[in-house]
Amino acid sequence: MDRPYDASPVVMRVDLAAALNRNHERLAQPGSWLDGAQRLAVVAEARHAWDCLLCRKHKSSGSPYSVDGNHDALGILAPAWVEVIHRVVTDPGRLSQRWYQEALDSGIAEDEIIEVISVTVQAVVTDCFTTAIGMETPSFPDAATGQPPRRHAPEARPGPGWAATIAPEDAGPDFVDFYDNESHFFIRRSLTLVPDETRRLWELLNALYMEDPRIYELEGLERGISRAQMEFLAARASALLGCYY
Amino acid sequence: MDGSVQESGLPQGNLLNEFVEAIMDRDKARIAATRTTIVETLGEAAMVDAAATIAAFNAYTRMADATGIPLEAPKAEATVELRQELGLEALNNG
Repeated sequence: MDRPYDASPVVMRVDLAAALNRNHERLAQPGSWLDGAQRLAVVAEARHAWDCLLCRKHKSSGSPYSVDGNHDALGILAPAWVEVIHRVVTDPGRLSQRWYQEALDSGIAEDEIIEVISVTVQAVVTDCFTTAIGMETPSFPDAATGQPPRRHAPEARPGPGWAATIAPEDAGPDFVDFYDNESHFFIRRSLTLVPDETRRLWELLNALYMEDPRIYELEGLERGISRAQMEFLAARASALLGCYY
Repeated sequence: MDGSVQESGLPQGNLLNEFVEAIMDRDKARIAATRTTIVETLGEAAMVDAAATIAAFNAYTRMADATGIPLEAPKAEATVELRQELGLEALNNG
């Protein structure tokens, strides 16, 4: 369906609907390292992960490494990709450097891992939002043809976490604007190994939340709840996911 | 999740907490009931932006946890005592 968020059961901000519609369309198009079919397969696997028996066992165990087995997968993607997707969806609070290194050791290019994480996150986010507002999950168009450029960003270096990123001081002329307004937060930098993909993701996140979180009040930003209420929801969601960044 | 949080003092804090817990629990019936109450109490725009904020923080958290990013130095320095009090360093599994 084209522009499914125009048919939302509730009225939403024009900029939010536009961002969601663009995101929906882009998920079916070639990305930076994955083609359109792979991106839609990642979305499908992310949705499927909630029903995975192994993930449920992981979640209820003291350590995700104390339970062996295979994920209940759709059978489209390689097992190493499925492991990345399922863990990001169902048990993000216990992801570790060991998990990331195992993904690298499986032979997935780090750039691919980052785009898989990004697309997985977009699937979770949009499904979370549609469920919350009482909208049916929109169906996707057929995957667009075309190949991703698969261009590695040579300016990326390891850190500040375990993934390689582009530091603000290393950003080239085509990416330096991403760090405008001193938005040097590590969270903004986290997926910059794949610059165009991270721009796509942040375009969605800026519309859902806000572009510059340094403001104390909404300062003219159109939102239906107060800044304090937004931060309360943010803190509760983060705590419930076991994220203490 | 049992809603066992202390009174936040925030306007409609309990209602918003019910919404975020229902969403994180993926409990569609509870989500629908809370959604209706929020729309009746705060309006549709409030419900949409509450949903949008919760959705966004389903992203930030996963991005942070999947890439192992640490706290920025100023935030780490400003929260030393709080993190010690809550024992958060023990949860650093990176």
